[in-house]
Amino acid sequence: MELELYIWMLLIGTAYGFFVGLIPVAGATTGLIAIYSFVGYFEDPYALVVFTTAVVVTSSIGDSFCGVVMNIPGAGGAAATMIDGFPMSRRGEAARALSAAISTSWVNGLIWGLAVFLFLPWYKNIVLYFGTKEMFAFLIFAMTCVIFISSKYWFRGFIALLAGLAVGHIGMDPDTAATRWTMGIDYLGDGIQMIPVMAGVLAFPELLSAYKMQAEKIYLDNNKIRNQLIQGVKDSWQYRWDGLRGGFIGGFIGLIPGIGGNIADWFAYSQTAVSAGRAGEKLGNGNVRGVIGCEGANNAQKATSYVPTILFGIPGAPFEVIVMGLLMYVGLELGTPSVLADEYFFEVLLSSYMWSLALILPISYMFIKHAVKITNLSFKWYFWPILASLVWSSTQYTGLIEDYYMLAVCMVVGIFLKYFKFSRVSFLIGFILSARVEASWVQFNSLYEWTDLFTNWLPATFMVLAGIAFIWGLFFNKSRIDFV
Amino acid sequence: MKKLLTGAAVALAITAQTAFADFTFIVPQKPGSGTSVWTEIVAKELEKHLGEKIVIRNIPGANDIPGFNKFHNDYQDDDKVVMVSHGGNGVSYLVDEVDYDYYQYDPIGMMNLTIINGYREEIDPYKDKIIFSAGSGMNPDMMAHILLKGGPGLTMERAKEIFANDYVFVKGMSGGERRLGYQRGELNVTRESTAAYNKYYTDAPYSKVWFSQGVYNLETGEIDSDPNYPGQSIHEVFEQHWGVKPSGEFWDAFELVRNFRDVMQKALWTHKDNPETPRLVAAFKAMAADPESMAKIYEKTGKYDWIIGDDMKSALTQLRGQITRDTYANLVNFLQFTGKPAVFKEAVIPQ
Repeated sequence: MELELYIWMLLIGTAYGFFVGLIPVAGATTGLIAIYSFVGYFEDPYALVVFTTAVVVTSSIGDSFCGVVMNIPGAGGAAATMIDGFPMSRRGEAARALSAAISTSWVNGLIWGLAVFLFLPWYKNIVLYFGTKEMFAFLIFAMTCVIFISSKYWFRGFIALLAGLAVGHIGMDPDTAATRWTMGIDYLGDGIQMIPVMAGVLAFPELLSAYKMQAEKIYLDNNKIRNQLIQGVKDSWQYRWDGLRGGFIGGFIGLIPGIGGNIADWFAYSQTAVSAGRAGEKLGNGNVRGVIGCEGANNAQKATSYVPTILFGIPGAPFEVIVMGLLMYVGLELGTPSVLADEYFFEVLLSSYMWSLALILPISYMFIKHAVKITNLSFKWYFWPILASLVWSSTQYTGLIEDYYMLAVCMVVGIFLKYFKFSRVSFLIGFILSARVEASWVQFNSLYEWTDLFTNWLPATFMVLAGIAFIWGLFFNKSRIDFV
Repeated sequence: MKKLLTGAAVALAITAQTAFADFTFIVPQKPGSGTSVWTEIVAKELEKHLGEKIVIRNIPGANDIPGFNKFHNDYQDDDKVVMVSHGGNGVSYLVDEVDYDYYQYDPIGMMNLTIINGYREEIDPYKDKIIFSAGSGMNPDMMAHILLKGGPGLTMERAKEIFANDYVFVKGMSGGERRLGYQRGELNVTRESTAAYNKYYTDAPYSKVWFSQGVYNLETGEIDSDPNYPGQSIHEVFEQHWGVKPSGEFWDAFELVRNFRDVMQKALWTHKDNPETPRLVAAFKAMAADPESMAKIYEKTGKYDWIIGDDMKSALTQLRGQITRDTYANLVNFLQFTGKPAVFKEAVIPQ
């Protein structure tokens, strides 16, 4: 009876998660928030563990489709996929891009999932070792790396970065805990949320451009699709180090609470850009390496963010806040001795993670042949459904009219940036990093001196790497992308 | 097409759930936060006694003020909206620029909760420098630490000296970072709700209970012993260490902000003269009398009393009576000294 219930939860969770992943910019967090409406019906807490795990795993795979086929980010942590995925799709290689994205994301999900759940207690030392000064130094390194993914309009990209940093400053001042730059609008007190920025700045201008675009009749018969699927897997193997590097970056970022998952794919993308640049290749115009590099980080980050969540009751990523809240509701309080001693909980978690991965692979591959047909359709056919889903995702924050206003403002900003060729990627990176870096600086400033960054081996290593990345980025960077 | 229809159906189902809900509870924090989870648990039990569906709407923001302001400004005509506030809102009511005013609503019910403070075993919190995470809801705890370090008759000036020389107030930390920082040893003092302290630290060898903030006695207006931590309430610990009862201008300022935070640690409100108020109060009383419901709530919060309807009104009046101009001015002045942009609001002082 119990097993039968868990199987149903797994199947429904897999279907729901995959569906949520397909909704533009929604992602795991939005999908999990919606579960609050019916969490009271879960009488068996372990059934909810199965369900939430299936949603997390499968939404991470599903979100590749939006980026590749529709040029809309599937979720905050999978936005970079569209930069190279969509140009591939436009030249008739959608199935190849999707196959490369899914196989890379899946393999990294498997590797990091096994690494997490089989050796969970071991990570306690890493999480505890990584303190305020380590975090601050790491953020400096990460920021230095990602800001050099600039477009060829580098000066305007720099301005966009500053604008993103400024927008990220809106909300609460971490030093005084007072509101800042909110113009007296209460709604801005918690800062501007990620989803409307993704939807308005990155997704909507692409949707508008695509609306005007003539659909090219790219006929992909089953044979071509099959060949592309195989080619995508071959690409994943050929560029396996890009995927594994992305997995390592995602895995590491997920492990350390407070860094924020949204930076993982951009950081991984930036490292792939460096590697491709060394080989004389360029990203941003439909290079499969761009897809593989960032997709490696996607599922790995989801897997490792379970570590601080389970061991310490500290969410490793935004979606884990929701997972924790949902499980607390049914009596499973993550991070507590009772859950840590609950072998059945770990058994259910590992099984549901692995079974979700096992289920989603054939589902995704079967879905590819239907998904690529979208590339044959004029955007006019699905402009409105996508716009509706962007609005839905962006209004899950409070559901009030202010959510709609915020989305509208972000749309106008997005169109402005795109029209005048200010890099929206730079804007987004500035926005993502702003609050995190500032909060980390405030903490560091309270507890340490600058010299502490250079007298401890780990922060010192990050600072040296940041210095190298800065010099390289300034003088030797040849991997600027065309995307604005 | 099928996908589109399925999507529309799911969106419709979620929207419909809100549209056809009988009551909406506004929580000023994000989903998954402590108050949000507490509200989910209470709402689930309350639905049984209210006989109507409750939907929770999260309106988060800095210091959890925007959600309460929204209730104050936009929902004063909606009989079906209930505001859920927490301790941080009580501190903000006293010293932040807020629109809301507890004394303009119908009180429904509240839990008279408390906060547990612990320290790392390697320090002597009375002698060593304290490293503690900052935040609006943390100010009463920071003041308690200074009070315990400062001893009897602590003056405002001496308290400022202790804060400046013997205290590190680490800003910019979330609740999760605070727990990790304490476990890691970067912070050496922490605070948690009773339930959270029991969960995270009771069995942790590195953490020792320092004191409980005690439980406010509605009849005497004094802080009583915490039933969950007998003999360890702030005034008891103070007396054990210093040999006399706490007193002085700093103690008064501390008591004021502590009471506004902890007595209203979790409280529910609806607009003034709401015709639904009697029904909501009756449902809360029925829930409080139901051992099964209370067992489920106590499991999450620790065993503390519910104060409902008219009793809550009396408690609020009593709390307001504690605000004297000098004590309030001292509180604002001290918080400003610690870096908080606190404001002195004439309207807070009872006329």
